[in-house]
Amino acid sequence: MKDSQQNSKPSNVSVLKAVQEHLKNMSDLKLQKLGAQDEQIQFLYLSSLADSQKIKDTIITPYYEMKETEDYENYMSSFPGILVLSDARQIEGKILSGYAVISVNEGTLYLFDAARIESTPVTAAETEVIVQGPSDSFNEQLDVNLNLIRHRYQSADLKVETMTIGTQSKTQLALIYDDARVDQSVLEETRVRLGSLSLDILQGSTELDRYLSSSKFNLFPTTIVTERPDRAVFNLSEGKIVIVVDTDGFVVILPVIFNDFFTAMDDKLLPKPVSWFLKSLRYLGLFLTVTLPAIYVAFSSYNTDVWKIQIALLVAGSRATVPYPSFIEVVIMLLMMEFLTEASLRLPKAIGSTATTVGGLILGTAATEAGLVSNIMIILVSVVAISNFVIPLNMMGFSVRILKYGLILLAALFGLVGIVCGCLWLTMYLASLRSFGKPYLRLFGLDRLASGNTNAGRGR
Amino acid sequence: MVKERYFYYLFMINALINIVNFVPRGLINSSFGGAMMAIVIAIPLGVLMTFLFIKGMNKFPSQSLPAVFNAHFPKAISATALLLYASLWFTAGLITLISFVEVTLRYVSVDVEPTMIMLLFLAVVCLCMRINSESLLYGLEVLLCINFPLIVYILLKAILHPYFSWDAVADIFTHSIALPSYRDIATATFIFSGYINMAVFNQVFKPLQLKYLWLIGVLGALILLTTFLIPIGFLGTINVYRHVYPWFSTADALRTQNFIIERVLFIFYFSYLTLSLNSAIIHWHVALNLIKGAFTSRNKKETRSKSDWWIMGIFSAISLFVQTINQFKLDQLGLMFLSVRLCGEAALILSVFIAYRRSRRKTA
Repeated sequence: MKDSQQNSKPSNVSVLKAVQEHLKNMSDLKLQKLGAQDEQIQFLYLSSLADSQKIKDTIITPYYEMKETEDYENYMSSFPGILVLSDARQIEGKILSGYAVISVNEGTLYLFDAARIESTPVTAAETEVIVQGPSDSFNEQLDVNLNLIRHRYQSADLKVETMTIGTQSKTQLALIYDDARVDQSVLEETRVRLGSLSLDILQGSTELDRYLSSSKFNLFPTTIVTERPDRAVFNLSEGKIVIVVDTDGFVVILPVIFNDFFTAMDDKLLPKPVSWFLKSLRYLGLFLTVTLPAIYVAFSSYNTDVWKIQIALLVAGSRATVPYPSFIEVVIMLLMMEFLTEASLRLPKAIGSTATTVGGLILGTAATEAGLVSNIMIILVSVVAISNFVIPLNMMGFSVRILKYGLILLAALFGLVGIVCGCLWLTMYLASLRSFGKPYLRLFGLDRLASGNTNAGRGR
Repeated sequence: MVKERYFYYLFMINALINIVNFVPRGLINSSFGGAMMAIVIAIPLGVLMTFLFIKGMNKFPSQSLPAVFNAHFPKAISATALLLYASLWFTAGLITLISFVEVTLRYVSVDVEPTMIMLLFLAVVCLCMRINSESLLYGLEVLLCINFPLIVYILLKAILHPYFSWDAVADIFTHSIALPSYRDIATATFIFSGYINMAVFNQVFKPLQLKYLWLIGVLGALILLTTFLIPIGFLGTINVYRHVYPWFSTADALRTQNFIIERVLFIFYFSYLTLSLNSAIIHWHVALNLIKGAFTSRNKKETRSKSDWWIMGIFSAISLFVQTINQFKLDQLGLMFLSVRLCGEAALILSVFIAYRRSRRKTA
């Protein structure tokens, strides 16, 4: 339907008619006419998407303030961000994204961005809480998010590339990186992967994160999804890439290494010994939450001679009434714990506390008093659950949650040997992972960034 | 491309797991013979072989041994040589695995089926040996860093123990002047053999500078002496003969007071299990790549996955079969492997240099 003769009067009227015809049965489609005598101005928009105040201020009021229609046309064409189109398809697309089409004197069709975007204000971060330091978080609007990043990273090297993903949702993405520091191979890889995505709908960055990962059965996240601008900016300065998705208050950071998931943003603000302590605490938490249940199974049913004799007797004594093997005991309690976590996550806040009370108090004490599980088991399960929450990024927390079950199985079959083999496989698996071509698990990961910088600096 | 420090990790892992590979057994067998002299000879010999092999492989930057052989030797010769070397590496991994199954049965899980344990080990090793060389090195670094403090702790615990008999150690020193046999030297040089993995790992390294070659000598000497002398100091010059795995018996004699685990053996077992499996993974990774290299023609790109599964199956089948032999024969096999290995390594170094000469003649 490409119009060959632009600006010819009858055809533009027919274009407008065609658009109207195609968008019929949309009750929120509004056609308004201005000018009493010969109906010189018509404009068409979707009232649910357009901002009526904006339309009134920029389209209607100026018309009545100007004497001549030519003046109004000049005013329109000089307006920043105005588009002149005559293709019905393109116009339709623009209307669907909140533009208003204005036809002056049945001639040129001006497209004016009147979109009203509902978004939450910039609020404090909720999923990654820190004690001190900047607390604002990204919101759902691309412009606001770019503003938050640009404001903190005032460098001419900060490049922003935008693209659109999703045939139906037409979601806007922005690829942000520091040109002087980014690893060009990673950038290229990211562009290729984004370019090869064919989706109908992209709703947010968490979804994007899943599509970007190289393998469907990846056990661990290979990108960070964060809502904190300070984390995004910090990672930009390390030569990483940030992808901001419109309509989502989270951004994707890539490539990442395993250690990044154990860094909280206030680590930078604390004295070095304190932040080292906190970091080792997190790794200890990781170790405990993954291995403790398996160790309990192995040492209470398999390699009973590993403990000191007092501890062995203590465990055996507390398990005296338990009628089934420790393997089943652990799995039952861990599953209860998982139910409890899931329930308190998904329930509305008003009922949420009930779940924890019922689960924590009643289940814990009653089950031990009934002799179904041992006291030590309850302590252990609580330690496992709590140490899981020590991991600052939830994505990693979720991954770690499922690891312990594999180890429990190995411990039940092979005892201590099984646990060691499981841990060894896990280490090797982590070492074999790649995040956008960069090794995922590497000790002394900082030298990777340093060498990455010098490479980029030399302009490869 | 990885940093040079990863080369030293390859050396370290091989040096540390020698305890499982019958090195203390072989040395203790001739502790009143040429063992001390063998150690003295082994140190310069090991460093020299490391130096020569690295120099040789440096002539072929970022190439693995199969690539070098296939390019510079006739197909039949290179394939045969690669298969022979692969069997050597396979045996190295196999001995580690089998002796660790033995150790597990003896000291940790007494009432478990050996086949089950072997299957578990095989599963882990086979899953991990297909990982690419670079990743294996990263994993190795992590595991070494975790285990190193534990090993140092156990060593200090043993040396500082009141029952450690320095007299027994001194007694061995009085037998220093004795001519070592070839077998003693071959046993003692095993701990330096880590460099030989560069046959495949060379493809992820830049040409090595070897600035810290002396470190290999020093560490090698320390490790050899502790390997040999600590069991003797702990178990006695004569009594030590009664133990198949003198090091595990030593660790089993140690106790801790202020810890929830009483027997040091379990810490020792934990760290040696991870290290041994890791070493087996590396050895079999090399063997796997050599075999694949033997069957790829010069021009064709090597094929993945399908052949991997076949080789994994063959490796596992042989392991399960060899596992059925008895302890005495296993002991013999281990010591025989250590002797054959030294000749194999010398031949390997020589063939790399011959390949280099042929390549120069080709370009000239």
